[in-house]
Formats: sequence, C-alpha cells, structure tokens
Amino acid sequence: MADQALPDVVGLSLDGSTPYVITTEANRALCATMDRQPAPDGAAHPIFYHIAAQVGMRLTIDSLCAACDFDMADGPMLGSTSVEFARPLMTNRPYDVRGRVVDIARKRSGKFGVMDLVTYNLELWHDGEAAVSVTHTLVLPRGAKA
Amino acid sequence: MSFAKGMSIPVQRSAVRRESLPIWAEMLHDPNPIHLDAGLVRAMGLGDAEINQGPANLAFVINALTDAFPDGRIEALDIRFTGNVFAGETVNTAGVVTVIGRDGEGEHVTLDVSLAVGDRVVLKGTAVMCRSAA
Repeated sequence: MADQALPDVVGLSLDGSTPYVITTEANRALCATMDRQPAPDGAAHPIFYHIAAQVGMRLTIDSLCAACDFDMADGPMLGSTSVEFARPLMTNRPYDVRGRVVDIARKRSGKFGVMDLVTYNLELWHDGEAAVSVTHTLVLPRGAKA
Repeated sequence: MSFAKGMSIPVQRSAVRRESLPIWAEMLHDPNPIHLDAGLVRAMGLGDAEINQGPANLAFVINALTDAFPDGRIEALDIRFTGNVFAGETVNTAGVVTVIGRDGEGEHVTLDVSLAVGDRVVLKGTAVMCRSAA
C-alpha cells in the first residue's frame, strides 16, 4: 500500500443526514466517567464537540478509513484536533454536522514508517449558525517501516 | 481571579478507570478494539492495557481549564496527540498562561496546555479562554 497512489478522498463530503442531539442523559453519563457534575445551565461538556462531530458526520470513522483504503484493524490514530467555539454547546439542541475531507498527505516517520495524514473539517450548526468549527488529522500507518 | 503571563493553572490529577472506556467507545461510535481488548493491545505490542480514547484524554485538560476559568468559556483548542494513556494509569494536567489580550468582547487568555503520565507527555497544545467583559 505504501507505494500506491494516495486515495482520492479530498473533497469527500462528510455532511451528516441526521442532527446530533447531546441528551441530558448522555452528558450526565460522560461527566460521571470523570466524577464531574453536569453544568446546571444546560451546557454540555465541551468535549462533546468531538463526539457530536464524529458521530454526526456522514461516515463512521471506520467508513472514513475504508474510503482511504485503510482497515480499521490496522490502528488509525487521531493525530491532532483543532476547534473553535463560537458559543458553548448545549444539551437537547439539534446540531447539524457539515464537513469534508480537505487534505491527504503521505509522510514517513521513524516510529510508524509510511503513514497517510487525512485532514478533515467539520462544523456543528444550530439555528442557522456554526457553533463549532473543527479540524481533525487522522494518522493512517501504512506499515512499511522506514 | 486575575491571570498573568507565566502563571500556571492548578494541576488536576485523575485516574483513567477501565470501566469508563466502553462508555466512551459507545459515545464515540468507535469500534477500535484497542480501547476494549487488553489482549489485543498486548498482541500488537502497544502496551499491557486498554488504550484510552484521545478525546477522553483531552477531556481531562478541558476540565482543568473550565475549573480554572469558572467565569469563562473555551474559545479554541489546538492539540496534538503524542502518546497513549492506558487504563489504570493516572494523568496530570498542566497549563501555563502565555498571552493575555483584551477587546470589546472581554479578556482572551492563551495557555500552553499538556497532559502527562509521569514524565510521558501524551498531548500538548494551546487553549484560548474567553472571559466576557462585565
């Protein structure tokens, strides 16, 4: 795979078809894993930016990997995440997820050998405004050691 | 509370509980077995226990930030994941103020942030917190 052409995924739409809702129960359950209480004003834990974007996008993470000719069993890794919040995420509001793959690049590292870096943007929209803008880079190790 | 360049926010020390990993996997719709199967992690030569999800690691840093800025909100995060955290390990947060700016919206505090297991840094980057003008 390492000597094959890069998968043709740039521009691939990740627009979700169903709005993502952070339920009160989900927020409470997630906070409980960290021994924290949910915010009393209905704000969701900010890490829901990641959960909502990942779950609400059109492709599951394994489908996105498959689109990149990569098997989930080969261990994709989240390399980086960048997020801007226009406003806090709230529970019990529908967020539409819009996004696309914006880049794929092949690199070589001493640790992982050949790897593809897939960059994609996602936005969470509510009531005609983007509440959150996210850029993720997924690392797909291709296996051929340097 | 006022902040100054070079000031550190309080360190938070948290245990990664094994029973939390399936909850995160379900929330994230993440079928990657490295988060659930310690035997597989060993077989892959990655370590001896289940690997905590990256967003779950980041959540510990977010907790430290929101606790340090009870009157503020997260405006931006820019984070690079540099290592794994395993079930049963204890993580420590760190955050140091690097820039303070003010505009009509309020005060914007930029921090270098990281999460580590002992000396092993597993994520690092920057955060911007916004404190609204009174």
